[in-house]
Amino acid sequence: MCLNHNDTSPNPSHFEDSEEVNTTPAHRDIEWKDYKDLIKGMRFFDPHIHMVSRTTDDYQAMHQAGIVALIEPAFWVGQPRTGLSSFKDYYSSLVGWERFRSAQFGIKHYCTMGLNSREANNEPLAEQVMEILPLYVYKEGVVGVGEIGFDDQTPAEEKYYRLQLELAKDAKLPVQIHTPHRDKKKGTERSMAIALEHGIDPSWVIVDHNNEETVKSVLDQGFWAAFTIYPFTKMGNERMVKVVEQYGPERIMVNSAADWGISDPLAIPKTAALMKMRGISDETIRLVTYQNAIDAFGKSGQIDVSDFESGFSIDQTEKFQGNSILRGGQQPAPTKDSLVIQ
Amino acid sequence: MSDILKQKLWGIITRNSSGTEAEWLLQKSTSSPLELMTAFVAAPRFLAKKIIHTSEEERFGLSSEIAGFSVEGWSLVRLGRVWLLTQLDSSDRNEYVKNIETLFDTAEMNELVALYSALPVLSYPDQWLFKATDAVRSNMGFVFDAIALHNPYPEQYFSELAWNQLVLKTIFNDKPIHFIEGLDNRSNEKLAVTLSDFAHERWAAGRTVPAQVWRLVGKFMNNALLADMQHLFQSANENDRKAAALACKEANLASANYLLAKYTDLEKSVRSGEITWASLEP
Repeated sequence: MCLNHNDTSPNPSHFEDSEEVNTTPAHRDIEWKDYKDLIKGMRFFDPHIHMVSRTTDDYQAMHQAGIVALIEPAFWVGQPRTGLSSFKDYYSSLVGWERFRSAQFGIKHYCTMGLNSREANNEPLAEQVMEILPLYVYKEGVVGVGEIGFDDQTPAEEKYYRLQLELAKDAKLPVQIHTPHRDKKKGTERSMAIALEHGIDPSWVIVDHNNEETVKSVLDQGFWAAFTIYPFTKMGNERMVKVVEQYGPERIMVNSAADWGISDPLAIPKTAALMKMRGISDETIRLVTYQNAIDAFGKSGQIDVSDFESGFSIDQTEKFQGNSILRGGQQPAPTKDSLVIQ
Repeated sequence: MSDILKQKLWGIITRNSSGTEAEWLLQKSTSSPLELMTAFVAAPRFLAKKIIHTSEEERFGLSSEIAGFSVEGWSLVRLGRVWLLTQLDSSDRNEYVKNIETLFDTAEMNELVALYSALPVLSYPDQWLFKATDAVRSNMGFVFDAIALHNPYPEQYFSELAWNQLVLKTIFNDKPIHFIEGLDNRSNEKLAVTLSDFAHERWAAGRTVPAQVWRLVGKFMNNALLADMQHLFQSANENDRKAAALACKEANLASANYLLAKYTDLEKSVRSGEITWASLEP
């Protein structure tokens, strides 16, 4: 996708076509030096981020900012896949290479598995994907079926959404729902109604990409409400602070959904800093940026907090059964200010 | 594979698992191939996070069936998975191969580790050669380790070219080569010569080579390698000097003996067995 850097219109992403109009400043960026002291000692869990699209610099910055674990939902990759093998390789990378890469930077990597709504519209391919999905959802570290739900809200999307809700029930896994960008309110209501119709306990469902318009109904019906801090097109962090002030921390969680658009893998630590500045309590911050995500996705039985709560292999050269996990020649966390490359 | 080995693995499982865990495995082992494969995937949901420690008797029992095969330090999940694979119906070769390949193609990291650990006990061992060399190409440390270290499969089935890649990559990745099964049996001249080139590149970059890697050159000592030994004898690192002494002792080259004789104390220590390659293992 071509990005014109002189163009300040909303960035293209999987959150394109937002109908929201920004009247008051909804978001502000904060520099590391200005907020690092505010979040000192805090740990964060990002329950929605697409690391396959991110660089090693991001991993290092995330680790430095206190992100100890994350969930990478299966999504579409910006263009339609043309065959089953592409899906297979993508799913395998979420539980294979990306998981390993993340571990090298001291961040525990989980994922959710699913057929995204856009590609559910390619029915012949969707049919084949559904056949191999069960092989992936039972895997270690798969904490849910996701991100699934509606995009254009077509009959095909509904069909595969329903099939995957059944799969989640069979596998005893939480569901991570992607809510549509266009006609969001109706799409969100419809997603929840269908989940309830399938007899799924709302406390097992995380409804993602909420805004001020959807949150009340989501919480009232007993679902988890996730908010994506995605500059320009989704929630801004200033708005997020207001939501938390209004609704409190119960069943609310924040994520970055950082991907291949102009997004921010540090959205959670920055939002936490902003909440701190606005006088929100440390306990509330902990719940919405760490604990609630663990409680919701932990229902999968796949999250063992002892794997990351006291820091997860911070030392990259840590030996595993006497063997370094580093590739030969790779430097542990090279210093960015150093001119000399060894 | 032999039924005795299956029984021995099962014995280790029962001594390291709860009744419920063993029962789950038993039940899955007699189910349809698809259900057994799903159990292979879902094993961490039913088996505890636990490391297996084997007795001397158990270790001997396994290695007397397949030389070099060991499950020491495995997780219960890894052992359970490998045992499940031994229970997969192999009577129809095409069907069996298709099933195992499906598991490979869809595997996550720990499943890959179990699959590569299982290579020595799978049916139709020559069928898995390409997969095995693929693991040597892996950048995932755990996957590489599963084929390269404590695994008797490469020693038995790898070509010389593939074997040398495995050893070189182990050295390149700064992993301990003495964990490679069959290291002495499969030593060869090409590997010894390539090792010299590799060491020169490292030295040029101001980096070092672990002293124990020189155990691969003794039998193939030539003038070029002897120059490397001279370099090592001059090293500030004591282990380098010991390695040079050991390699020269093993050489069938008169000039290597003369060189060693210049370092009286070292010569005495290697000839008396006071210094061995084991003393250089990290």
